[in-house]
Amino acid sequence: MTETKKSSNQIVKLALILFVVSAITSGVLGVVNYFTKDIIAMRRAEARAEAYQAVLPYDGEYTSVSFDEEAWETVDAISQAGGEGYVVELTFSGAQGSINAAVGVDSAGAITGVSIIEHAETSGLGAKITEDSFRSQFVGQTLGMALSKNGGEIDSITAATISSQAIVDACNTAIEVVESLG
Amino acid sequence: MLESVLTISLGAILINNFIFSQFLGCCPFLGCSTKIDTAVGMGIAVPFVLGLSSAICYVVNELLVSLELGYMSTLAFILVIAVLVQFVEMFLKKSIPSLYTALGIYLPLITTNCAVLGVVLLNVQNNYNFIESVVYGVTGGLGFMVAIVLFASVRDRLQFADYPESFEGFPIALVTAGLLALAFMGFSGMRIG
Amino acid sequence: MNLKQQFKEGLITNNPVLVQRIGMCSTMAITTSLFNGLGMGLSVLIILTCCNVAISALRKAIPNDIRLAIFVVVIAGFVTIVDLLLQAYIPALSASLGVFIPLIVVNCIIIGRAEAFCQHEPVGPSFWDGIFQGFGYTVVLVCMCLIRELLGSGTFGGGLIDITEGFRLTLDGSGAGIRIFPETYGATILLMPFGGFLTLASLLAAMQYALRKSAEKKEAAERAAKVEVVKEAANNA
Repeated sequence: MTETKKSSNQIVKLALILFVVSAITSGVLGVVNYFTKDIIAMRRAEARAEAYQAVLPYDGEYTSVSFDEEAWETVDAISQAGGEGYVVELTFSGAQGSINAAVGVDSAGAITGVSIIEHAETSGLGAKITEDSFRSQFVGQTLGMALSKNGGEIDSITAATISSQAIVDACNTAIEVVESLG
Repeated sequence: MLESVLTISLGAILINNFIFSQFLGCCPFLGCSTKIDTAVGMGIAVPFVLGLSSAICYVVNELLVSLELGYMSTLAFILVIAVLVQFVEMFLKKSIPSLYTALGIYLPLITTNCAVLGVVLLNVQNNYNFIESVVYGVTGGLGFMVAIVLFASVRDRLQFADYPESFEGFPIALVTAGLLALAFMGFSGMRIG
Repeated sequence: MNLKQQFKEGLITNNPVLVQRIGMCSTMAITTSLFNGLGMGLSVLIILTCCNVAISALRKAIPNDIRLAIFVVVIAGFVTIVDLLLQAYIPALSASLGVFIPLIVVNCIIIGRAEAFCQHEPVGPSFWDGIFQGFGYTVVLVCMCLIRELLGSGTFGGGLIDITEGFRLTLDGSGAGIRIFPETYGATILLMPFGGFLTLASLLAAMQYALRKSAEKKEAAERAAKVEVVKEAANNA
């Protein structure tokens, strides 16, 4: 009898210690989170704003446009830059993980720029989708663009066809969704 | 729905295999692959735990996000996984002793398998819903099983191979794993839909 | 246990990756550019040192039965702190290492050192153990990065160094590195998972070779000494 009592006491003691350690850790995390939360949010917003400006420079305010979210699964958001055109933000899968990109489309349905906001591609290979030499090929392209090996004009990144193809698909989707707005 | 489940499964088993392309779970992969029996045992235990922890951690994550405590997720996940593995062990010991004797020693090892925490974090990162998360967990585990069984079979034959003395043991095992990774790279051209 | 010995252990004789063979997932996964390798190495070094100190300080208060659970909580706490700080101040590194930052929680190096060292030793040695073991890990990561990056894409210091407008260190991961030879000659395969396995295998083999050579040398010296003794004895007789 005394033994079971002792062991149950022991368990309560262990649980208490674990609880205290977890509570202290959570408390510290809460404090760190409190101080970094705003900076992280600001960084994200900055990165997004920078990407928008890079693909379709616009002095005024980008206005958000509603679209059929069911039909366009990869499209996250569409913003209108006055009469200049639209910035389409997409999340789609690359070779390793999701890619989050902003694509600028002008009123004539041509790409004005592509910018990668976030990605998880292999550095040195697929990660080259962020490089200027690859992204600049898209400027001026219209619906139906393809990689050069498929008869198009976009040169794919060496040994990273999947990542390259993913960006091409995303750009085509961006033009299509803008056209669907009418 | 079916299409996304298929894409996830095929991706997790072949294209983005946990071991050969994501490097998740290398420690048990290299540690438990000297014998085929051990490899099969580990291979069966992993999809089971991965699926279960994907399901539970999905709920935990929803809860944390709704409380705006998303930053606590890593801490919560690892505790949930540790407790879960303990419970699975206790449950198996009481109700399915035969399975327990087969899997018993591998279960505690799984807690420190980075594939478990990895799959849960990837579920969150990829915004998978409940079903997709569970499918990703189970098929990711199956991918691990395929990898470890293949690897153990090759490793078995290494004893008869003639390689430089300095590569004895671990290094030659890594080279073997590398060659398997190379073979699995062939799947990366595959796409569904 | 003095500092010099601890340093030697961390770097060579008990190196976490090459000798203890733990923490290999991240070693193979993220070592494709110097920026990643150095970032990961330093993150682990910082987390390891903090965890070592915390666990060593608490070692008398931690009951043996639930020590692993407490280790894990402490480790997860520090990892999350570093993760949040990286997201806030070096977002490029956080984006590039992705899920491997939170995965430091299950990196066997940290829990391994807690179990093997810090739960018995006082705070001072534990602190240095964290520094040196973390340093040993970083050195291996950097070696892997240098090899894979040089042979794979022909550059040195990718992401970290930029020389387009004079020598400059880039902390946002944007530098293109110093080009040693044209990219088309690079063996891209080394940047892929296969390259990770192969490079680590080569490093381990080199380590085994070195250890064997030094053991052979020692043996040969001992044998020579013995022969000397026998000869002397023969001469005396």
